[in-house]
Amino acid sequence: MATREELSEFLAGVERRAFKQAVFAVRDESHALDIVQDAMLKIAEHYGDRPAAELPPLFTRILQNAIHDFFRRSKVRSTWVTLFSSLNPGDEPDADPLETLEASGDVRTESTESSYEREQIVAIIEEEVARLPARQREAFLLRYWEDLDTAEAAAAMGCSEGSVKTHCSRATHALAKALRERGITL
Amino acid sequence: MNQDEFGFRVRQALNEGAERVDYRTVLRLEQARGRALARQRRAGPATVRLPALQLAAAGAPPVDGSRGAWGWLRGAGWVAPLLALAIGFVAISQWQEELEIKRLAALDFAVLLDEGPLEAYADQVFGVLLQDEQRAER
Repeated sequence: MATREELSEFLAGVERRAFKQAVFAVRDESHALDIVQDAMLKIAEHYGDRPAAELPPLFTRILQNAIHDFFRRSKVRSTWVTLFSSLNPGDEPDADPLETLEASGDVRTESTESSYEREQIVAIIEEEVARLPARQREAFLLRYWEDLDTAEAAAAMGCSEGSVKTHCSRATHALAKALRERGITL
Repeated sequence: MNQDEFGFRVRQALNEGAERVDYRTVLRLEQARGRALARQRRAGPATVRLPALQLAAAGAPPVDGSRGAWGWLRGAGWVAPLLALAIGFVAISQWQEELEIKRLAALDFAVLLDEGPLEAYADQVFGVLLQDEQRAER
Protein backbone atom coordinates (compact mmCIF):
# COMPACT_ATOMS: atom_id res chain seq x y z
CA MET A 1 0.00 0.00 0.00
CA ALA A 2 1.24 3.51 -0.87
CA THR A 3 2.11 5.48 2.22
CA ARG A 4 1.07 9.10 2.56
CA GLU A 5 4.64 10.13 1.71
CA GLU A 6 4.71 7.94 -1.39
CA LEU A 7 1.40 9.29 -2.61
CA SER A 8 2.52 12.84 -1.89
CA GLU A 9 5.78 12.31 -3.75
CA PHE A 10 3.97 10.75 -6.67
CA LEU A 11 1.44 13.58 -6.94
CA ALA A 12 4.14 16.22 -6.60
CA GLY A 13 6.02 14.55 -9.44
CA VAL A 14 3.11 14.45 -11.85
CA GLU A 15 0.98 17.46 -10.95
CA ARG A 16 2.64 19.99 -13.24
CA ARG A 17 2.63 17.70 -16.23
CA ALA A 18 -0.97 16.82 -15.48
CA PHE A 19 -1.83 20.49 -15.28
CA LYS A 20 -0.15 21.22 -18.60
CA GLN A 21 -1.89 18.31 -20.27
CA ALA A 22 -5.23 19.56 -18.99
CA VAL A 23 -4.40 23.08 -20.21
CA PHE A 24 -3.54 21.73 -23.66
CA ALA A 25 -6.87 19.95 -23.73
CA VAL A 26 -9.28 22.50 -22.25
CA ARG A 27 -7.38 25.74 -23.01
CA ASP A 28 -8.25 27.22 -19.65
CA GLU A 29 -5.97 27.23 -16.64
CA SER A 30 -8.75 27.47 -14.09
CA HIS A 31 -10.62 24.50 -15.54
CA ALA A 32 -7.34 22.64 -15.88
CA LEU A 33 -6.62 23.13 -12.19
CA ASP A 34 -10.08 21.85 -11.31
CA ILE A 35 -9.51 18.80 -13.47
CA VAL A 36 -6.15 18.02 -11.86
CA GLN A 37 -7.59 18.52 -8.40
CA ASP A 38 -10.47 16.22 -9.24
CA ALA A 39 -8.06 13.56 -10.53
CA MET A 40 -5.91 13.88 -7.39
CA LEU A 41 -8.89 13.51 -5.10
CA LYS A 42 -10.15 10.48 -7.01
CA ILE A 43 -6.85 8.64 -6.92
CA ALA A 44 -6.40 9.40 -3.22
CA GLU A 45 -9.95 8.48 -2.23
CA HIS A 46 -10.39 5.39 -4.35
CA TYR A 47 -6.90 4.06 -4.93
CA GLY A 48 -4.96 5.47 -2.00
CA ASP A 49 -4.56 1.98 -0.61
CA ARG A 50 -2.93 0.62 -3.77
CA PRO A 51 0.81 -0.04 -4.03
CA ALA A 52 2.83 2.96 -5.19
CA ALA A 53 3.83 1.18 -8.41
CA GLU A 54 0.20 1.02 -9.53
CA LEU A 55 -0.40 4.74 -9.16
CA PRO A 56 1.07 6.12 -12.43
CA PRO A 57 -1.16 4.20 -14.89
CA LEU A 58 -4.17 4.74 -12.64
CA PHE A 59 -3.56 8.47 -12.44
CA THR A 60 -3.05 8.70 -16.20
CA ARG A 61 -6.38 6.99 -16.77
CA ILE A 62 -8.17 9.08 -14.16
CA LEU A 63 -6.78 12.30 -15.62
CA GLN A 64 -7.84 11.37 -19.15
CA ASN A 65 -11.29 10.49 -17.88
CA ALA A 66 -11.49 13.76 -15.97
CA ILE A 67 -10.64 15.66 -19.16
CA HIS A 68 -13.26 13.72 -21.11
CA ASP A 69 -15.80 14.34 -18.35
CA PHE A 70 -15.08 18.04 -18.57
CA PHE A 71 -15.98 18.01 -22.26
CA ARG A 72 -19.08 15.91 -21.63
CA ARG A 73 -20.26 18.34 -18.98
CA SER A 74 -19.47 21.27 -21.24
CA LYS A 75 -21.52 19.68 -23.97
CA VAL A 76 -24.44 19.14 -21.63
CA ARG A 77 -24.27 22.75 -20.54
CA SER A 78 -24.17 23.73 -24.19
CA THR A 79 -20.87 25.52 -23.78
CA TRP A 80 -20.03 24.33 -27.25
CA VAL A 81 -17.64 27.23 -27.72
CA THR A 82 -14.90 25.12 -26.15
CA LEU A 83 -15.54 22.28 -28.53
CA PHE A 84 -15.80 24.65 -31.44
CA SER A 85 -12.47 26.22 -30.61
CA SER A 86 -10.78 22.86 -30.31
CA LEU A 87 -12.04 21.99 -33.77
CA ASN A 88 -10.98 25.35 -35.18
CA PRO A 89 -7.83 26.19 -33.28
CA GLY A 90 -6.96 28.93 -35.74
CA ASP A 91 -9.76 31.06 -34.35
CA GLU A 92 -8.86 30.40 -30.72
CA PRO A 93 -8.20 33.69 -28.94
CA ASP A 94 -6.16 31.91 -26.29
CA ALA A 95 -3.84 30.67 -28.96
CA ASP A 96 -2.60 34.17 -29.63
CA PRO A 97 1.21 33.95 -29.41
CA LEU A 98 1.35 37.48 -27.98
CA GLU A 99 -0.42 36.24 -24.88
CA THR A 100 2.12 33.53 -24.36
CA LEU A 101 4.98 35.93 -24.86
CA GLU A 102 3.41 38.36 -22.44
CA ALA A 103 2.91 35.65 -19.84
CA SER A 104 6.49 34.58 -20.07
CA GLY A 105 7.71 38.17 -19.88
CA ASP A 106 8.03 38.05 -16.09
CA VAL A 107 10.94 35.70 -16.30
CA ARG A 108 12.63 37.60 -19.10
CA THR A 109 14.41 40.07 -16.88
CA GLU A 110 16.18 37.24 -15.07
CA SER A 111 17.04 35.28 -18.17
CA THR A 112 19.84 35.47 -20.62
CA GLU A 113 19.06 36.18 -24.26
CA SER A 114 19.47 32.55 -25.25
CA SER A 115 17.27 31.26 -22.45
CA TYR A 116 14.64 33.78 -23.48
CA GLU A 117 14.79 32.43 -27.01
CA ARG A 118 14.50 28.93 -25.64
CA GLU A 119 11.52 30.02 -23.60
CA GLN A 120 9.86 31.33 -26.73
CA ILE A 121 10.53 28.07 -28.51
CA VAL A 122 9.02 26.12 -25.63
CA ALA A 123 5.96 28.38 -25.68
CA ILE A 124 5.52 27.86 -29.42
CA ILE A 125 5.89 24.09 -29.03
CA GLU A 126 3.27 24.09 -26.28
CA GLU A 127 1.01 26.15 -28.46
CA GLU A 128 1.34 23.77 -31.36
CA VAL A 129 0.85 20.74 -29.13
CA ALA A 130 -2.35 22.34 -27.87
CA ARG A 131 -3.50 22.82 -31.46
CA LEU A 132 -3.26 19.13 -32.30
CA PRO A 133 -6.56 17.26 -32.61
CA ALA A 134 -7.57 15.91 -29.18
CA ARG A 135 -6.94 12.21 -29.77
CA GLN A 136 -3.63 12.84 -31.55
CA ARG A 137 -2.47 15.07 -28.74
CA GLU A 138 -3.57 12.56 -26.12
CA ALA A 139 -1.70 9.72 -27.81
CA PHE A 140 1.40 11.82 -28.44
CA LEU A 141 1.61 13.08 -24.86
CA LEU A 142 1.01 9.67 -23.35
CA ARG A 143 3.66 8.06 -25.52
CA TYR A 144 6.34 10.72 -25.48
CA TRP A 145 5.71 12.78 -22.38
CA GLU A 146 4.28 10.23 -19.99
CA ASP A 147 6.63 7.67 -21.50
CA LEU A 148 3.99 4.96 -21.77
CA ASP A 149 4.48 2.16 -24.26
CA THR A 150 1.91 1.63 -26.99
CA ALA A 151 -0.07 -0.95 -25.00
CA GLU A 152 -0.22 1.25 -21.89
CA ALA A 153 -1.24 4.28 -23.92
CA ALA A 154 -3.94 2.21 -25.64
CA ALA A 155 -5.24 1.08 -22.25
CA ALA A 156 -5.28 4.65 -20.96
CA MET A 157 -7.08 5.92 -24.07
CA GLY A 158 -9.46 3.00 -24.31
CA CYS A 159 -8.53 2.21 -27.91
CA SER A 160 -6.39 -0.25 -29.86
CA GLU A 161 -2.62 -0.14 -30.08
CA GLY A 162 -2.96 0.42 -33.82
CA SER A 163 -4.98 3.56 -33.18
CA VAL A 164 -2.33 4.84 -30.78
CA LYS A 165 0.38 4.32 -33.40
CA THR A 166 -1.69 6.06 -36.06
CA HIS A 167 -2.51 9.01 -33.79
CA CYS A 168 1.13 9.33 -32.73
CA SER A 169 2.41 9.25 -36.27
CA ARG A 170 -0.09 11.85 -37.43
CA ALA A 171 0.61 14.03 -34.41
CA THR A 172 4.36 13.87 -35.02
CA HIS A 173 4.00 14.85 -38.66
CA ALA A 174 1.51 17.61 -37.94
CA LEU A 175 3.64 19.00 -35.14
CA ALA A 176 6.86 18.89 -37.12
CA LYS A 177 5.18 20.63 -40.05
CA ALA A 178 3.64 23.33 -37.84
CA LEU A 179 6.96 23.99 -36.11
CA ARG A 180 8.83 24.13 -39.41
CA GLU A 181 6.37 26.72 -40.66
CA ARG A 182 7.15 28.81 -37.60
CA GLY A 183 10.87 28.51 -38.20
CA ILE A 184 11.60 25.89 -35.55
CA THR A 185 13.48 22.73 -36.36
CA LEU A 186 14.02 20.29 -33.54
CA MET B 1 15.00 12.59 -37.49
CA ASN B 2 12.81 9.67 -36.59
CA GLN B 3 9.55 9.82 -34.68
CA ASP B 4 11.01 8.75 -31.32
CA GLU B 5 13.80 11.30 -31.49
CA PHE B 6 11.36 14.05 -32.38
CA GLY B 7 9.12 12.94 -29.54
CA PHE B 8 12.05 13.04 -27.13
CA ARG B 9 12.92 16.61 -28.11
CA VAL B 10 9.36 17.77 -27.77
CA ARG B 11 9.29 16.06 -24.39
CA GLN B 12 12.31 18.08 -23.25
CA ALA B 13 10.57 21.28 -24.32
CA LEU B 14 7.36 20.30 -22.56
CA ASN B 15 9.26 19.46 -19.38
CA GLU B 16 10.85 22.91 -19.49
CA GLY B 17 7.41 24.44 -19.93
CA ALA B 18 6.03 22.47 -16.99
CA GLU B 19 8.86 23.76 -14.79
CA ARG B 20 7.91 27.32 -15.63
CA VAL B 21 4.37 27.10 -14.30
CA ASP B 22 3.61 30.31 -12.41
CA TYR B 23 3.69 30.35 -8.63
CA ARG B 24 -0.08 30.78 -8.21
CA THR B 25 -0.67 27.59 -10.11
CA VAL B 26 2.04 25.81 -8.15
CA LEU B 27 0.38 26.96 -4.95
CA ARG B 28 -3.03 25.75 -6.05
CA LEU B 29 -1.58 22.42 -7.11
CA GLU B 30 0.02 22.06 -3.69
CA GLN B 31 -3.29 22.84 -2.03
CA ALA B 32 -5.05 20.30 -4.23
CA ARG B 33 -2.43 17.73 -3.33
CA GLY B 34 -2.91 18.46 0.37
CA ARG B 35 -6.67 18.00 0.06
CA ALA B 36 -6.18 14.74 -1.79
CA LEU B 37 -3.74 13.41 0.81
CA ALA B 38 -6.16 14.30 3.58
CA ARG B 39 -8.72 12.04 1.93
CA GLN B 40 -6.38 9.20 1.10
CA ARG B 41 -8.05 5.85 1.37
CA ARG B 42 -6.36 3.70 3.95
CA ALA B 43 -6.44 -0.07 3.94
CA GLY B 44 -8.61 -1.18 6.85
CA PRO B 45 -7.83 -4.06 9.23
CA ALA B 46 -8.02 -7.42 7.52
CA THR B 47 -11.53 -8.75 8.14
CA VAL B 48 -13.13 -11.87 6.76
CA ARG B 49 -16.70 -11.49 5.63
CA LEU B 50 -18.98 -14.34 6.63
CA PRO B 51 -22.52 -14.91 5.40
CA ALA B 52 -25.06 -13.47 7.85
CA LEU B 53 -26.78 -16.80 8.48
CA GLN B 54 -23.56 -18.55 9.26
CA LEU B 55 -22.69 -15.81 11.72
CA ALA B 56 -26.11 -15.96 13.33
CA ALA B 57 -26.01 -19.73 13.55
CA ALA B 58 -22.70 -19.67 15.28
CA GLY B 59 -23.89 -16.90 17.55
CA ALA B 60 -20.34 -15.68 17.47
CA PRO B 61 -19.05 -12.11 17.39
CA PRO B 62 -17.51 -10.77 14.15
CA VAL B 63 -14.02 -11.87 13.23
CA ASP B 64 -12.55 -8.49 14.06
CA GLY B 65 -13.91 -8.82 17.59
CA SER B 66 -16.13 -5.74 17.55
CA ARG B 67 -19.81 -6.14 18.33
CA GLY B 68 -20.87 -2.76 16.95
CA ALA B 69 -24.30 -1.16 17.20
CA TRP B 70 -26.08 -4.34 16.07
CA GLY B 71 -24.00 -6.62 18.25
CA TRP B 72 -27.00 -7.49 20.44
CA LEU B 73 -28.85 -8.74 17.34
CA ARG B 74 -25.98 -11.01 16.39
CA GLY B 75 -25.89 -12.29 19.95
CA ALA B 76 -29.51 -13.37 19.68
CA GLY B 77 -28.34 -16.20 17.42
CA TRP B 78 -31.20 -18.30 15.97
CA VAL B 79 -33.99 -16.60 17.83
CA ALA B 80 -34.03 -13.17 16.22
CA PRO B 81 -34.24 -14.21 12.54
CA LEU B 82 -36.80 -16.94 13.27
CA LEU B 83 -38.92 -14.59 15.32
CA ALA B 84 -38.75 -11.96 12.58
CA LEU B 85 -39.75 -14.58 9.99
CA ALA B 86 -42.71 -15.77 12.06
CA ILE B 87 -43.94 -12.23 12.68
CA GLY B 88 -43.63 -11.56 8.97
CA PHE B 89 -45.72 -14.61 8.04
CA VAL B 90 -48.43 -13.75 10.53
CA ALA B 91 -48.56 -10.13 9.36
CA ILE B 92 -48.82 -11.12 5.70
CA SER B 93 -51.51 -13.67 6.47
CA GLN B 94 -53.53 -11.12 8.46
CA TRP B 95 -53.21 -8.56 5.73
CA GLN B 96 -54.32 -10.97 3.01
CA GLU B 97 -57.29 -12.06 5.12
CA GLU B 98 -58.29 -8.46 5.72
CA LEU B 99 -58.16 -7.75 1.99
CA GLU B 100 -60.29 -10.77 1.18
CA ILE B 101 -62.87 -9.81 3.81
CA LYS B 102 -63.10 -6.29 2.42
CA ARG B 103 -63.46 -7.58 -1.12
CA LEU B 104 -66.25 -9.98 -0.21
CA ALA B 105 -68.00 -7.34 1.85
CA ALA B 106 -67.96 -4.94 -1.04
CA LEU B 107 -69.28 -7.61 -3.37
CA ASP B 108 -72.08 -8.58 -0.98
CA PHE B 109 -73.04 -4.99 -0.56
CA ALA B 110 -73.17 -4.45 -4.31
CA VAL B 111 -75.36 -7.56 -4.75
CA LEU B 112 -77.69 -6.34 -2.02
CA LEU B 113 -78.11 -3.06 -3.83
CA ASP B 114 -78.53 -4.88 -7.10
CA GLU B 115 -75.56 -2.95 -8.41
CA GLY B 116 -73.16 -5.81 -8.72
CA PRO B 117 -70.58 -5.14 -11.36
CA LEU B 118 -70.50 -7.42 -14.38
CA GLU B 119 -67.09 -8.67 -13.31
CA ALA B 120 -68.69 -10.04 -10.18
CA TYR B 121 -70.49 -12.69 -12.24
CA ALA B 122 -67.20 -13.81 -13.70
CA ASP B 123 -65.73 -14.14 -10.24
CA GLN B 124 -65.20 -17.73 -9.29
CA VAL B 125 -66.11 -17.17 -5.66
CA PHE B 126 -69.35 -15.48 -6.64
CA GLY B 127 -70.18 -18.39 -8.96
CA VAL B 128 -69.71 -20.85 -6.16
CA LEU B 129 -71.86 -18.69 -3.91
CA LEU B 130 -74.72 -18.69 -6.44
CA GLN B 131 -74.50 -22.47 -6.85
CA ASP B 132 -74.65 -22.92 -3.07
CA GLU B 133 -77.71 -20.68 -2.89
CA GLN B 134 -79.42 -22.61 -5.73
CA ARG B 135 -78.69 -25.92 -3.99
CA ALA B 136 -80.09 -24.55 -0.74
CA GLU B 137 -83.31 -23.43 -2.47
CA ARG B 138 -83.83 -26.93 -3.88
